[in-house]
Amino acid sequence: MSIADLVREATVGDVAYSADECLKCNVCNTVCPVARVTDLFPGPKYVGPQAQRFRSGTALAPHGMGRTIKAPDQTVDYCSGCGICTTVCPAEVKIAEMNNRARAVMRAERRARFRDWLLGQTDLIGRLGVAFSPLANWTLRNRTVRWLIQHVIGIHRSAPLPAFARRTFRSRWSAQQSRRSQSGLPVDEPGPDRAVVYFHGCAANYYEPHVAAAAIRVLRRNGFETIVPPQVCCGLPLISNGLYGGARGRARTNLGVLAQYARRGYRIVGTSTSCTHTLKAEYREMLDLHDDDARVVAEATWDICEFLLDLHEDGRLDTRFGPLDEDLPYHAPCQLRGHGIGFPALDLFALVPGLRAMDLDHDCCGIAGTYGLKNEKYGIAMDVGQPLFKKVRAAGAARAACDSETCRWHIELATGTPVKHPVEILAAAYAAGETRPA
Amino acid sequence: MAIVPRADVVIVGAGLAGLSAAIALAETGMKVQVLAKGHTATHWASGGMDIGATPGSETSRAGVERLASFDGHPYVLLGGFVERALAWLQATLEAEGLSYVGDLDSVLRPVPTALGGTRPAAILPAGQAPAARRWSADEQLVVCGIARFKDFWASAIAASLRRAQVWGVGEPPRVVDAVTVELPGLVGRHNLNALDIARRFDDASWRDAAIDAIARAVDRARSTGGGRVALPAVLGLEDHPAVMDALGRRLPLEPFEVPLVPPSVPGVRLYGALRAALRRRGGRILVGEPVLRVDVEGRRVTRVAAAAAVRENVYRTEALVLATGGIAGGGIVARPDGRLEEPVLGLPVEAPEADHWLATDPFDPAGHPLEAAGIRVDSELRPVGRVGETPLLENARIVGSLLAGQRYLRERCGDGVAIASGWRAAVTLAGTSRAVPDQVGSVAV
Repeated sequence: MSIADLVREATVGDVAYSADECLKCNVCNTVCPVARVTDLFPGPKYVGPQAQRFRSGTALAPHGMGRTIKAPDQTVDYCSGCGICTTVCPAEVKIAEMNNRARAVMRAERRARFRDWLLGQTDLIGRLGVAFSPLANWTLRNRTVRWLIQHVIGIHRSAPLPAFARRTFRSRWSAQQSRRSQSGLPVDEPGPDRAVVYFHGCAANYYEPHVAAAAIRVLRRNGFETIVPPQVCCGLPLISNGLYGGARGRARTNLGVLAQYARRGYRIVGTSTSCTHTLKAEYREMLDLHDDDARVVAEATWDICEFLLDLHEDGRLDTRFGPLDEDLPYHAPCQLRGHGIGFPALDLFALVPGLRAMDLDHDCCGIAGTYGLKNEKYGIAMDVGQPLFKKVRAAGAARAACDSETCRWHIELATGTPVKHPVEILAAAYAAGETRPA
Repeated sequence: MAIVPRADVVIVGAGLAGLSAAIALAETGMKVQVLAKGHTATHWASGGMDIGATPGSETSRAGVERLASFDGHPYVLLGGFVERALAWLQATLEAEGLSYVGDLDSVLRPVPTALGGTRPAAILPAGQAPAARRWSADEQLVVCGIARFKDFWASAIAASLRRAQVWGVGEPPRVVDAVTVELPGLVGRHNLNALDIARRFDDASWRDAAIDAIARAVDRARSTGGGRVALPAVLGLEDHPAVMDALGRRLPLEPFEVPLVPPSVPGVRLYGALRAALRRRGGRILVGEPVLRVDVEGRRVTRVAAAAAVRENVYRTEALVLATGGIAGGGIVARPDGRLEEPVLGLPVEAPEADHWLATDPFDPAGHPLEAAGIRVDSELRPVGRVGETPLLENARIVGSLLAGQRYLRERCGDGVAIASGWRAAVTLAGTSRAVPDQVGSVAV
């Protein structure tokens, strides 16, 4: 093996070293949705591979996190992490990942802002919010309170904060399971050919249990029972805010549980395309978790539409969808693009009679997880999404569809058009098939 | 392993060749899937169509004819299709709002570059086209730069363009002057790139103020008589025709754009128009999906596997168009041991031995020995080991700068080879009974 091969082996695929592949061609800058709308972010090339040369390589490794050189450029904090730069780079530079790590170094240099820490505590917020949901929801709708939150915490008063559910998905689910056992139905876990492990994520648990319910109905319709093991937030909100330490803790908890199922051949299916992307890619790429648990979980994880389309390819999807006579504008979120699986929801929509799904063809809605909630970034998020909002409004449809929860909330609030998860549309199509006279 | 629904044709590569093939195929109603590792060719391109400009050629047609007489040049196979393919593509782009001026018989003229040199060009986007018109003896050229914009130094360009030898045998303008204009709101920017400014021009109210400033500056620099204004290619991205229209009405001299270093705004416009044309015809395109593997059964490509976050994204397909580019585009990779590889299908690469890779003169007008490296094909663009042999793959087509035997930098034939091969690949894949040959050929030429 030559020295060149050794160097290549050690560095290829490495986020920090991928800067060496940068040709300075500027293609990333042509697609960056943030740089397009604001001068506060100079563009992925400048803060990514270009600034990378001034960052210490070891400072970016997990063990070097504490002792770092000063980040050369604070504007990297304006990167929304949508990842489109990475997908278009002809030289396969991991630009968005590099920026995210640079932000983590900045966070390690000084204590995190309370707001950024708080945005990562999705389980804590969710649990409290659901417990006091009438009060919490009133609070979040109250303009004075939101003004206060904006000025004290730094979350913009107009940013989309969804309403808490009356009850978490998990508590509904366990009540259902105990009713099942009381009525003598089997509660033991079916094998991996008849069940999937469901990763509900925070959105379906605390805000949108109806998405989880729709997913479970659609899975059952196709012969799959659902297993809901203990789980916590995937950690993405912490990763996006550069708080890798907390994120690693969440990841370890999830991997410990999920890896056991993955090793037994279960597939892990999620309704949040950003959570599934975190399980697939970010635990390894961003958090440097390269053990066998991380590998088996990544390889067993499926986004729900990806899973259903795979069933269809095997001829196993129940395609007896009833007609849905409607136009359905569809936004493919930036996180979905990171999966590299195309847009499976569109292929599934094509199976529903009468459904006229249209790809809105916009790269990013702007919210990018927690990015657009922040006071200083809310305006950017609105500007990034503006062309998309126009298309949604122009479509004049009764509802739209999108795979990612934060995008749904953002688009819904900006346009007034209800936005559904694709699996809700599919569940509705199955229901329409059932209500039709035979 | 996830297998997405079947495609009739998978096209690997989203440059001019791959997208031309994809659009022409989608036009026949075929289910088309384009996979690309990233953006390259279009985003680096000047936007002009280089069809063929060998030394001494008056027109692109003469260039094509000359190149078609070179043993082993792609134009030996494709020369006869260039005219129809070009006319078809121009009509396709026109329908997407991107107009081109010029055809195979337009005279190749020296057109100013952003470095203060000239290059021979005849077929240009409407916004660049006035540069290719003959300069009359009383015409003035005003080079208009933008303050703090580092990719277009007006005074340096003008100083260079004042030298008669830069214009070769062409007639230079009577006088070349430079102005630099301060555009509103750009004060204090550190990294000002072409795209930033182009997007500002899309904003109608900013545009008015900017054009006012440009008009005043040009007016000051203007001497008696007519002339033209060279502006950096930043004149709008989405709304470029409206920007040119407004400039045309407000400037005392006729404006034209000069393409710049990447990111090339005319190149991004070209990509946008090609992508829109493809999607309008039902074609699909995914960028960021490098192809990992192609499955072959017998002499047929059956499946194409692209990289995904985990597992692979596999497409079952009836045919494959390989448009991955040459050495510069990553379609051919050089190994340290002197082998040249075609990484997607592992096709044999026609190339000089490693000992002959090095040219003694980096600026040798004969070009670099490696430039002509590529894949040898039969008359239907199917890959072959050597000329005259049976195709290695029945249902694969090789297009664009991956084709062996061209030296596109020197011969200025890259766009012509891309368009003609893309179009030709579509025709041969669609088969004689399908719509493409007639439909495409029926475009008036």
